[in-house]
Amino acid sequence: MANPASKRLFKEYRGLSSDPPEGITAGPVTEDDMFLWEALIQGPEGTPFEGGIFPAELKFPKDYPLAPPTMRFTCEMWHPNVYQNGTVCISILHPPGDDPNHYEHASERWSPIQSVEKILISVMSMLAEPNDESPANVDAARMWRERRKEYERIVRGNVRKGLGL
Amino acid sequence: MSKLHAVEDPTDWLNTSLSCFEPLEAALRCQVCKEFYDTPMITTCSHTFCSLCIRRCFNSDGKCPTCRTSDQADKLRRNWVVQELVDTFKAARPAALKLAQTKAGSEDDEAERPKRKRKLEDTDIEEDSFEDTRRPRRTRRSRSVAHGTSQEEPIELDDSGDGDYDPEEGTTLCPICKSRMKVGLVYAHLDLCDGKPVNNNGATRARTQPSKPKEPLPPAARLPQLNYSLLKDNALKKKLQDLGIAAHGSRALIIRRHTEWVNLWNSNCDSSRPRTKRELLRELDSWERSQGAGASTVPSAVMKKDFDGEGWAASNKDQFDELIANARRNRARKEAKTEEREEKPNEDQIDSMPTHQPEQAPSISTPVRHDEIPNPYEGNEKALSIVREKVDEANSHGRRLRSSGQPIPAPPRDEERPGSINEGPPLDEEVDANPPISSQQPSSQFVPISPNVDMSRKAHMFRLPEDPIIDTDGGTSVS
Repeated sequence: MANPASKRLFKEYRGLSSDPPEGITAGPVTEDDMFLWEALIQGPEGTPFEGGIFPAELKFPKDYPLAPPTMRFTCEMWHPNVYQNGTVCISILHPPGDDPNHYEHASERWSPIQSVEKILISVMSMLAEPNDESPANVDAARMWRERRKEYERIVRGNVRKGLGL
Repeated sequence: MSKLHAVEDPTDWLNTSLSCFEPLEAALRCQVCKEFYDTPMITTCSHTFCSLCIRRCFNSDGKCPTCRTSDQADKLRRNWVVQELVDTFKAARPAALKLAQTKAGSEDDEAERPKRKRKLEDTDIEEDSFEDTRRPRRTRRSRSVAHGTSQEEPIELDDSGDGDYDPEEGTTLCPICKSRMKVGLVYAHLDLCDGKPVNNNGATRARTQPSKPKEPLPPAARLPQLNYSLLKDNALKKKLQDLGIAAHGSRALIIRRHTEWVNLWNSNCDSSRPRTKRELLRELDSWERSQGAGASTVPSAVMKKDFDGEGWAASNKDQFDELIANARRNRARKEAKTEEREEKPNEDQIDSMPTHQPEQAPSISTPVRHDEIPNPYEGNEKALSIVREKVDEANSHGRRLRSSGQPIPAPPRDEERPGSINEGPPLDEEVDANPPISSQQPSSQFVPISPNVDMSRKAHMFRLPEDPIIDTDGGTSVS
């Protein structure tokens, strides 16, 4: 617990467990290792993700919160901003220094005052409103744009699969 | 005591009669480290952070974490008012929290308590399939139980009216500053206690004003940031040595260590309660372990709790099988050899005596060393012969007179040995052709014993441990 990163993560864990935001659960896999977290995100209502519970893992760097964590869905995810392997591509997870996509405002990106809670809330709203300007999954983005019905069918299928139905 | 709830957090105020204190406490905490401000500093863009936090942030990207305005560490100014607010709030917190919890507990109707603003939806799915991820969430009641040693049991609180309330119940004195606090908070307090008596019940402004430290101050001069690109490695190392911090490691590590030290040092200069250099060095040491040289050791996946042992065994079956087969083969071979050996133990011993090369004697006890150290006299026959004579002389006096029987053939052997060891299987022929060399070869045990192979008495001392090495060599050269 000596180093600032695990101290801060512990604080966030404490805050998230005492006062969790709606639809979000998160915490370290074991309390011995603060740098690997599991999170569960509820699909936002009024979207094809509604009713689903989406597990994800968060990996934190040793110099957190100076650098952002990475987030990866451990379930099947069909979404323009989620890579095939589940990695989430969202501006809040990108350090302000590099902007490979050249479309993100610096203000949207990672800063040490961001937190796990804010990341998860952003991801939740990302589920509701994909950003197709710079998609991580081009096929999903195109389908979302051009064949919305089919996109929603796949997403609902994943939701059911995730629930074991 | 649960580790989780030993930590003070703004959410302690939720579900008490003072839930409005949650944002207040959150406002008194640094946004970067989430602790109460420690030596708060204000940036030119008027945002406040702990001195150490903001210095680290500036080193990382040179921007204010809140508004991303570019700024520099040397433009930071102290924010005494915030320091004072934090100090007074920290002093008042335990008593206030206790009172707030008591008030909430003494209310008859639990339903009247302020409802939590945000609540996870209690869907069936969640209850069923994700039960254990919900484990950490507790109600206020279980949290105060988790304070463990505290006698402030929730049931007690529920029953006790305000009249029965004893302010000193469940409290203890801090051994350093003698102030009274809840038992469960003593440890957290001890980390922060500076020895000054703190009045929990009514902190006044005057007392918490920045005190003059008693300890000899480290020189208050702040360290300058270095332009690392202008410094050569040696100059940089010299700088670190002059500062009294470790100068080992790669250049990148040295730079990071220096940066961290400058941050630690300068934020200590900002502090109203500066620590000694020794404490700062300890801090740097813990940084070293978590983020410096010690941090590179990533725990292997095999050590993980959820490591899939069976999957691993299945996916690496080929290698495991091969290793098992090799091990069996070795054992069979060795047993065969031992039997053979046992038939003529005396012969071995006798053989070893006359053929034994005295100057090789040291290499028997330290065979590895001999291989590693290049022979400084290699090629210098004159020097070698002098050395050999000396060694012979010493050996013949010290050990056995017979052993100096053949001093002359020794030199070529001595030089050949390192090469022959690496050759693996071809060794067999060589051993046969040149028997005395094998006398110090650990590998000789794999060679079918021939009468002229010299089995030194000491050979079997290191035979066992050397097995795998020989086998690997043999395997690679075969393939």
